[in-house]
Order: sequence, then C-alpha cells, then structure tokens
Amino acid sequence: MNTRTTKRISVLALLLSFALLTVSAATPGGSEVMWEVYNRDSGDTMSANLIMTITNARGSVRERTIAQYRMDKDGVESKLMFFLSPSDVRNTSFLSFSYEDGRSDDQYIYLPALRRVKRIASDSKNDSFMGSDFTYDDMGSRHPELDTHTVLRKETVNGVSTLVVESIAKGDEDYPRTLSWVVDGEWFGLKKEFYLPDGTLGKTLTIDEYEAIDGIYVITDMTMRNLEENTSTRIQMEEVEFNQDFNDSFFSERQMKIGPRR
Amino acid sequence: MRFFTSFAKRPFLLLLAVLVLSSIFVISIANNAVLETDLDEYMPKTHPAFMASDEAESLFGIKDAILIVIEHPEGIYNPGTIEKIDAITVALQEEFDAVESVTSLTTADNIKSDDGFLEVEPFYSGKTSDSAISQMQAEVEANPMIYGRNVSKDGTATLIIAELKSDIEAETLQTWAGQWEGPENLMVAGRPVVEGALAQLGPKDMAIMFPLVIITMIILLYILLRSVRDTVLNMVIVLFGTLVSFGLMTLLNIPIYAVDTMIPVMLIAIGVAYGIHMHNTIHHLMLSYPDLSKGELATQSLKQMVRPIIMTAITTAIGFVALMSSQVLPVRYFGLFAAIGVLSEMLLALLLFPASLYLLGKPKYKRAKADLEIQQGKGTLSDKLQALLLRRPKMVVFISLAVLIIGIWGTSMVWIDTSFLANFEEDSTIAQTDQFVNNKFGGTSTLNIILSGDETDLFKHPEVLQAMDSMQDDIEKDPIVGNTLSLATFIKQMNQVMLEHEEGSYSIPDSQELVSQYLLLYEFSGDPESLEKVVDYEYTSANITVQLKSDSSAVLKDILAVVDSYRPVFAEHEIEVTYAGSGYKAFIFSELLLEGQIISLALSFVIIIILLALLFRNLHIGIVGTVPIAITAIVNFGVMGLLGIPLSSATALITSIAIGIGVDYAIHFLEHYTNERLEGSSLEQATRSTLRHTGRAIIFNAIAVMGGFAILMFSVFPPNRQVGALIVLNMATSALGTLTILVVLVHYLEKKHVFLPKRIR
Repeated sequence: MNTRTTKRISVLALLLSFALLTVSAATPGGSEVMWEVYNRDSGDTMSANLIMTITNARGSVRERTIAQYRMDKDGVESKLMFFLSPSDVRNTSFLSFSYEDGRSDDQYIYLPALRRVKRIASDSKNDSFMGSDFTYDDMGSRHPELDTHTVLRKETVNGVSTLVVESIAKGDEDYPRTLSWVVDGEWFGLKKEFYLPDGTLGKTLTIDEYEAIDGIYVITDMTMRNLEENTSTRIQMEEVEFNQDFNDSFFSERQMKIGPRR
Repeated sequence: MRFFTSFAKRPFLLLLAVLVLSSIFVISIANNAVLETDLDEYMPKTHPAFMASDEAESLFGIKDAILIVIEHPEGIYNPGTIEKIDAITVALQEEFDAVESVTSLTTADNIKSDDGFLEVEPFYSGKTSDSAISQMQAEVEANPMIYGRNVSKDGTATLIIAELKSDIEAETLQTWAGQWEGPENLMVAGRPVVEGALAQLGPKDMAIMFPLVIITMIILLYILLRSVRDTVLNMVIVLFGTLVSFGLMTLLNIPIYAVDTMIPVMLIAIGVAYGIHMHNTIHHLMLSYPDLSKGELATQSLKQMVRPIIMTAITTAIGFVALMSSQVLPVRYFGLFAAIGVLSEMLLALLLFPASLYLLGKPKYKRAKADLEIQQGKGTLSDKLQALLLRRPKMVVFISLAVLIIGIWGTSMVWIDTSFLANFEEDSTIAQTDQFVNNKFGGTSTLNIILSGDETDLFKHPEVLQAMDSMQDDIEKDPIVGNTLSLATFIKQMNQVMLEHEEGSYSIPDSQELVSQYLLLYEFSGDPESLEKVVDYEYTSANITVQLKSDSSAVLKDILAVVDSYRPVFAEHEIEVTYAGSGYKAFIFSELLLEGQIISLALSFVIIIILLALLFRNLHIGIVGTVPIAITAIVNFGVMGLLGIPLSSATALITSIAIGIGVDYAIHFLEHYTNERLEGSSLEQATRSTLRHTGRAIIFNAIAVMGGFAILMFSVFPPNRQVGALIVLNMATSALGTLTILVVLVHYLEKKHVFLPKRIR
C-alpha cells in the first residue's frame, strides 16, 4: 500500500517535470514574454481616429469619435485627444503626460463651452478610460514588474500560435489574476481574461481585427466585455498613421483650445 | 332544522365529529402554518401604477435602503469614529448577501476645483491624522451633495446607506449593529426596518392578546350566563371556529398574513353571540315552561333560534365577504376565512346547545334577579325602558337626530391618512430613530418623481433642467421635505465646481453644449453609477429623488400637488410625469386598500338591506333594520373626525366588519317582534315581550363582544388599540341604537300600518 502510493507520486512528479521541461525548452518564460510585449515597437508618434461604442446593461448604445495623437519622447508619453462627435461635446479635449520614471500622470481637460482648461488630478490607472469598460491600464501597457508571469501553455487562436500567460498581481488589484493570449514572436495580445478576487471571470477582451501598418501591428477592432455589469465597449481605430512630425508645442494647452489637426 | 334536531339526538356522534375535525385542523396548522411577513406579497403587482413604478425602479436602480446612523455626541470627526465608519461599510458589504451596495462618508467621492485644478477624490483618504480629518471635515462642509444629506450639519452623526437587493431581517441587522456600539451610538432606520418591525409586531402582539381575550371572555361569560356548562360550550364553539378558519387556510396551503392574526380575537368576540342567544332562549323556555322534557326543550329552542342565528351569522359573514372585493389578496383571504370561521361557529352553536341538553340533561340555571322580578310580576329594567321609549318617542328621535348631525359634522372632518410609522409608539426605538434621522438628515422616506420623454438628449436641454430645478425648489419649500436630488442638482454642483464657486455659479448653465461637456467630464472622472440613478443612458428620462421627513400619505399628497402643478411646463417638452419607489407604492396601496374598504362598506350595506328584506319578505324591514348600523357608521366616522383619528386602511376595515356584527342586534329584535305580532300580540305587548326576551340577550351579546375587543385597548401596538376602541364604540352604538331608535321606529311605523304587510294584522 505504502510503496504503491510512493510510486504513484514519483510517476506524477516525473510527468510534471517533463511537462514543465517541454514548455520551458520551447518557449521563453512568462516574464520574458511580458517584457517583449511591453517593449514592442509602437512607433514614436501616432495619430488615429477612435470610434468608441459603449453598450450598457440594457442594451443602449453611446457612440463617440475621438481624434488621438501620441508621442513618445525622452521618457514621456504625451497624448492629446479631441472629441469629434457627438456634436455637443465636439472639441472637448484631453491632454496627458505619462512618465516612465513612475511620477504620476499629468492630465488636462478643456471644455470648449466653458473656454477653460482644467488640470485633473488622477493617480489611479484603474480608472475607467473615457467612461468606457477599458481602464487607462488596459489602453496602455502595464509595467511587467507589477505582476508575476507564468506561461501556462501554447494555444492556437484563429490559426495564430499564441502563448497563454498567467499574470498574478503583486499588489492589490480589482482583477488580481489575468490570462493573456500573446502572439508568439509578434508580442501583441489576441485575447485577455480578467479574473475577480473570488476566481470568477470578470472581464474579457477580444481582438477582432489587427493589421500591420508601417510594419507595426495595430489592433483596429477590440471589445471589452464586463461580465459583472453586463456592459461592453468596442473600440475601432481608423486612419492610423505613424511617425508624424509633431512640434514640441503640439501637446499643449494652446493646441487643446485650437482643436485637432486637419 | 331537521338536520340540527336529528344531529342533536346523537351527541356522541357530534362530539366525535368535532374532535376528528379539530384534530385534522390542529395537525394541519402544526405542520403547514407559515407566517408571511413580506409586505411585497400584499401589493397588487399588476396595477398600472405599480407596473410603471417597477419599470422606473429597474431603469434607475431605485432600491429600498437601510440607514445605519452613527452618532458621536462630541462629533464624528475623530480617528476612532472615521475608522469605524470605514469598517462597518466594508463589513456590511462582506457579511450580508442581501446588500447590493453601501454608501458612506468613507466611500463618497468629492469633486473640487481650486486654482484651475480639478480633483475627484474620496473624502476619506485612508489617513486619520488630525490634519487629514480636519481637511475631510472642511471638504464635507463645502459639498452640498453630502453635507446635510449623509453627514449631519452639526457634525455629530453620519449615515451609512445600504441598498438592498433582497429582504433582510431588521432584527438581525439591529443586533449586528449593536456590536459596533460605543462610544458611538448606532441606530438602524429606513423603510425595510419599519416594515419588518410592523410585520412582526402585529402578530406578536396578537399572540399575547389572544390568551388575554380568552380569559376575559371566560370570566365575562360566567358572570353573564352564571353557568359553567354554557361558558364551556361557548368557548368550545369559538375555539372551534378559530381552528376551522386557520385549519382550512393551512390545508389549502395559504400563508398566514399579518392581517389574519386579527381573526382569532374577532372570532372569539363574535362567536359567543350565537351561544349567548341559544342560552338565553333555553333559559326563557325553562322559565316559561318549566315542565318541558329535554327533547322538547332542544326542539323548541332550535325552532325559535335557527332562523335568527343563521341570519345574524350570514350578515356578519357578509361584512367579511364584502372584503373580497378588495384588490389586495391578503385582505380577500382575511374576509373569506373569517367568514368561514363565523359560519362554522354558527353551525356548532346550533348543534352543541341542543346536544348538550340530550347529553347532560336540562341545565340548572341560577336565578337572576330579573327572572325573579318577572315571575313576581314586577316591572323589569327592560319594561322601564319600553315605557320610557313609548312615552317619549320624540325625545328618542330628537336625540338620535342630534347624534346623527354631530356625527355627520364630525365625519366631514375625517381626514384620510396612512402611515407605517404612525403605528409605532412615540417612545419606541423605531419612532425615535426615525425622528433622529428626520432631524439630522434629509428624512427616512423617499418619493421618486419620474420624468419621461422620447427625444434623445432631452435632459441635456437647459430649459428642461431649469424646470426641474425650479420644481425642486418649490418642493423643498415644504418643511417636511429634507432635500431633493436630480440630474439638475448634479449639473449645478458641477457648474459651481468648474466655475470655482463664482457668485451665482450654483445654477444650471444656459448652454446645452456646456451641460453635455459637464456630463461627459462627470462620466469620465466621477462615478458614472451615480449619474445612472438620476438619468437614463439616452437622457430621455430622469429621476428626481425627494427625501421626506414623514411617510404620511397626507403629506405625500401635498408634494404630489406641487409636482402636478408643473405638469404643463413639462408637457411643453413632451415630458410625462409619473412616480416610483416603495414609498409611493405603499401610498397607492393604502389608497387602494381604503378605496376597497369603502366599497365593501357600501356593498355590505346594500347586501344587508336586500338580505333583511328577503328574509322578512318586506323591504320596509330591510331599510328600518339597517337604521342602527347606519347610525353606527356615522357615529364611528364622526368620533374619528372629532378625535382626529385618521381614516386608514385599518380603521376602514373595522367599520365594515362592525357593520356586519352590529346588524345582528336588529335582526334578533325584528325576528322576535314579527313573531310576536304574527302570534297576535298587541303593539305594546309585542314591544314589551321583545325587549324582555331579546333585550337581555342583546346587552349580554354586546357586553361580551365589547369585553373581548376592549382587551385590545391595552395592547402595546397602536393599530390594535385603535381596532379595539373602534369596535367597542361600534358595538355600543349598534346595541343602543337597536334598543332605542329601532324600537321607536318599528312601533310607530307599525302603528301607522306601514311596517308589516297587511296579511299579518
């Protein structure tokens, strides 16, 4: 009886170590994958139009179009956004600066009907992005050091080979565990699942379309579904352009008042 | 008749039947009885006002909330209290599944703007240093969205608001809150607590009252009847009636609602009437014909009493059955099963008394003084009454008319009001907590005003928002209104913050673009969930929450009148105004209940007139017979008007029941009187004999019923006290009316040959 149990355990241990070996032999570690994702080339500058469709639990829909400009320079990510529609909020603009050194973001808002620029204090990356189901974290890229990453398995999604990475947050998070399906070799996510502290699935992100523009993979259609609230947000990207010239004064309060580039 | 006599001859069979039935009912009650305390079960869910309210409730997430008050006499702005508020907020959410969301000082967000810097931050930073707390205090006091709403203006108390997705036991929560006591005081308030306490208090009180009523009844019966045997028989009858009522209810798997807990007391008080009349008749027969055998005595007493007892039971049952016209299910069941109880008591009284003669022989009644007087040929009290009535008929009519006029005058002052809170003693914890919350905060009751249009973004129009704002201002002029909250309130607050408290900035801006941009900003930086509670996703409908310091329906009506005056303004924008929320539903429910009870009151009058006319084959008797109960109803409403007792669903219920019981006296009188006249007695003789014979029984009957209900006047539960007092009043009026004005009316109508048909004379 005793010996049989021991045997079983040793066989199991063997199988397990084989499994681990095969994964680690063929693929990079979880942390490596997420660093690749974080460092993926996304262009120093970019401009695009975002179409955001927010659906609430009752199935009602709000659609917004936003012109977005981004520049990465000297450890600072500058973003300028203008609402194009609906018409009553047209030209309402947001300006933000994120710092690589960990300083908290600087954010400004301009309400054209008020003709005033206001600085917004925000220290939480978990805040909803523009009232959608995306957080600022979801829209940018989360620093890999914030979580512990493990590659669980390989999986083929729509004919594309991906690595399934489990990320466990080191700090306190709304979704302490996430699973990401990262395209092997290209290092962008195809799918992401967000799990609540009690282990149930809270949010899912699906990527429906992506294309390579100027050699950079861009997700042009994605949907975040909040399973708790039964809401969803779809973001489509149009007129994506990279490596444009922004002069230094473009990401400024002045430009916020002027409006988007034509 | 034959059924009763043949059954009475087999007393053992009767006993066996009663025993078997009783045990079936007892077993069924023991196994199936479920007390339904959820007030939602009372609501007529398909009523249009309810459906509209339910729809709005789900659209805006309007939910019943429990308020936990935390009071610190020296002020809540100290580390201990703030940390406790935070701990309770977290624990509520974690420990109760029924809690949907919790709002408190430590969860609320503050929007502020200084020097071009817009900040959205929780009031509570998690820090409890002196400087952090005094900063928090300053921020709370600068924000009208929380100051005076969630935190009292004197800074000694704050509210934790727990919205519920399902019901929660008020008692459980109260005990739970107790563990956080000291040095702070904790109190639990809110509609769910009041309803929960109400649903439990009533039945609990009845459980105490029931044995008291039984004991009182036994003592009263013994004093009145001077017979242990007849007292026991009476108690068997009334307890059997109660068993049948509840036994059938449980056999049919119908839950026991709070209102049903009145049934036992009612059945006891009503049921003794049948036994008293049987006893009275047997007694009289034995006095008049001492040589009757027990069989003859049984047959004779039955012969005299079958008709009046069945008639009185039917009229009483009609008073109850008329309640089945109600739209409220529990009230319908109450009427049905109380009626069944009454009818089974009647059956058993008619069976048991004759059977007792067969089984135990003729009773040996102790002789009452009145009996001796009759035998000695002296005038009894009833004869004196008769002499007085017939000598001074105009005085009787005059007094009756005077009573009627005062009654009608009093009735004109009756005001309609229903309030859950009025059911609690002023010094009860619930009433005092309510008082506290009303003094320190916006109020414990809420009304939701729902504005709905068709056009998308309708509620971004400045004119619409300004109309809402001005209506809110008007509503807030009523001292009973604590505060109001709507999209307009949010926009005003936002405008003030964005304009950095410029003069006049707490107002609705004139530009729709600016409103839209504020809303966009709020959506991004505030919590969009609080917007969802005041406006729908497309901005086509809005919800205005009115916080009230009273749950009285009369107060609510005043507010509704102010809102109605704004209907034309909103109609210009094609906006429809409706209401929602549990407070409003309770209001509609009470109105329905009241309307139903007034209908059943009228209905029982009509049915009783028709029934009397049919039974006596004479419409005059039908009309004259209802005179005492008509006076009873008017006196009842008159007294309520003069004493300022509001007409509520409970008091209206009593009136229609009292009518059904009160008419019994008239029936006994009329039955005996017509029989006397049919047998050829003269006018005077018939009146004298009827008063002698039935007068005593009527007074005994009235004393017994009044004695039973009078016990309720000592209840700790105010509604039960009202029920007791009003029934005592009504029984007294009915008995008195029957023995005075009815006697006079019958006598003089008969004298003028307009009362009984010619064939009798």
